[in-house]
Amino acid sequence: MSKILEQLATAIIEGDIDNTPKLVQKALDEGLEPLTILNDGMVMGMNEVGRRFKAGDMFVPEVLMSAEAMQAGLKVLRPLLVASGAKLLGKVIMATVQGDLHDIGKNLVGMMCEGAGFEVIDLGFDVPAERIVQAVKEHKPDIVGLSALLTTTMRQMAYTIKALEEAGLRDKVKVMVGGAPVDEEFAKKIGADGYGSNAAAGAELAKKLVGAA
Amino acid sequence: MEVHKVNYEVNATPTLQILTEDEIEAIYFSSLRVLEETGVRCYNPEGVDILHAHGAHVEDKNLVKVPSWMVERARSTLPKKVTIVGMPDKDGKRKYRMDLVKNSAYWGTGSDTPYTIDPFTLQRRRSTYQDVKNLAIIAEALPNIDFFMSLGITQDTAVGTYDRWQYLAMLEGTNKPINITAVDVEGLRDQLEMAYIRLGGKEEWKKAPAFSLYIEPVSPLSHDPIVIGKLLFCCDNDIPFVYTPCPQAGATAPCTLAGLLVQALSESLFGIVLSQLRKPGAQVIIGGLLSQMDMQTTVMAYGSPEMALLSAAYTDITKWLMVPMYNTSGCSDAKVFDEQAAMEATLNTFIAGLIGGNMIHDVGYIESGLTSSPDMLVATDEIIGMVKRFLQGIPVTRETIPLETIDQVGPGGHYLGTDHTLRHFKTEFWKPTLMDRLDWDRWVKAGSKPMRERVHQRVLEILQAEREPLFDEKMYKELRRICELADERHKGEEMGIGIV
Repeated sequence: MSKILEQLATAIIEGDIDNTPKLVQKALDEGLEPLTILNDGMVMGMNEVGRRFKAGDMFVPEVLMSAEAMQAGLKVLRPLLVASGAKLLGKVIMATVQGDLHDIGKNLVGMMCEGAGFEVIDLGFDVPAERIVQAVKEHKPDIVGLSALLTTTMRQMAYTIKALEEAGLRDKVKVMVGGAPVDEEFAKKIGADGYGSNAAAGAELAKKLVGAA
Repeated sequence: MEVHKVNYEVNATPTLQILTEDEIEAIYFSSLRVLEETGVRCYNPEGVDILHAHGAHVEDKNLVKVPSWMVERARSTLPKKVTIVGMPDKDGKRKYRMDLVKNSAYWGTGSDTPYTIDPFTLQRRRSTYQDVKNLAIIAEALPNIDFFMSLGITQDTAVGTYDRWQYLAMLEGTNKPINITAVDVEGLRDQLEMAYIRLGGKEEWKKAPAFSLYIEPVSPLSHDPIVIGKLLFCCDNDIPFVYTPCPQAGATAPCTLAGLLVQALSESLFGIVLSQLRKPGAQVIIGGLLSQMDMQTTVMAYGSPEMALLSAAYTDITKWLMVPMYNTSGCSDAKVFDEQAAMEATLNTFIAGLIGGNMIHDVGYIESGLTSSPDMLVATDEIIGMVKRFLQGIPVTRETIPLETIDQVGPGGHYLGTDHTLRHFKTEFWKPTLMDRLDWDRWVKAGSKPMRERVHQRVLEILQAEREPLFDEKMYKELRRICELADERHKGEEMGIGIV
């Protein structure tokens, strides 16, 4: 691995938001391919972050800083990757469903997905099914992630999936669900494509849903 | 009169204090500043209008900034004591009573867990109507449980009207005061109607409410439209309510415990201000499930020492404010009732008791509040028993320092037969009901049962005991009718996706 890629991986691990885009630019200036910079530098760093997180050597706030550094780097890299026809991980729309103001879980999954290299569009909380349908039409995401904390608002996940069906969009996106009262069984019952029990599992699931893991 | 002692201080109970008055004031005035300068989001237009009409600044439609004088004024009409009295027994007497006031401690369960541990199979599964009823029956039987919250969400009933069914299940199981939850104002109104029926009329409710309502602000600094609607309904109908957030240090609140206290207090003070504007004298209980996000797992910790410490510190604040406190204990992050569950529940129950405030909930919670455990409930009742003994302290009087008896027994004798021992052995010592103090041989003969087996045996004994229904069939039908009518009104909303 070249020195610059090593530096880039380290910047990601350290969550260095200022330096990561600079290092990406430097790597480009040195003539490295965008895809090489992504896979052999940034993703290497993020993989190490994942390893350390699992081992208990890194904690959520640090992982989120790394995810932000990843996004800062991708900002420079993404247009070049698109232009080169490289396959990107894809887009995720995240929302806490209608009637629910609890969004910390949704935010965590969104940030973890960003760390994994997804582009994340966050619709916020208390989001009605129609707005999610609208956003799917507009952004054409690969995945829609739905979150709820209350058993009463869990139903909105089912309403949203039904609304996607009625709009003829259901087969265009994968739907993943999560939140404290949600489980695998409920996810199956409402016809979601997957369930994540925590933020890291959510990001892993997202990768699986786009065939990247 | 013979007087020998002067300037003599008595410690009637052991004391615990986390914050000094200066520290409490620093937190309180910081909260006022948050309310005044940062403001809170209130998504209920009626609530915003009330606050605006009385002097709050409103920006960006729902960002409400509450000047300090509004908080001070609200405090002047806020009740210092809230009394909740349970349902009548067959003889018409309402014997269970909670006077939530400074330095009083009452314990009760937690509410609305999606899962429960089945008492017969010990499997974790979605909770049902029967679970709620069973757990209420257990709570009714336990001497140290003073109030009940639904240890499990009824999920074999319609989702949108679960609250009425859940209340019915609780009423079937216990006459103790209840802290309910409600889907919305309509669900709250239905449950109030059920309480009137069960009490035998609205006048009985006026003497003393039989339930309080549990509602939450959403941290950080957000107030849900439906929740505020329920808050206003409570003010209008003399229903005490608990308005307490569940902030997680480092995630939905500042990472430092003092910072979390400031934010949590701002969140509850907002509820106090709005309630007192709506109806001076409206009964509010504040406090919360104050803890941290575990930075390894992202789980909200229920068994952490920080949770116990925060609850105790917040109790110091509510004592200073003279407002009833909603405290937390008897809960754990363990997945089953095990050693971890017992260790965490012992620590937080002991701290909650020592600090002395007031409505202490969440007994019976495991898995960080996601699962209710009958075993945990029964075991914590025993822990509370030990804590209550500790709280009685050591009275130092002529009677408890029996110099004559000591003199009479003298060196080398024993006290077993003395009048003094006979007078005191039944009241001086706490009597365990689950803790084992057998010698080895007798313990082996009794089946060599470890604690968890003895606890579970007690659960089964309670559930399998013969019991009279708490009210007659006619009353049951009347109460059930309200649930059924609610189901009828909301028939189309379920989409066949009931959870169980």
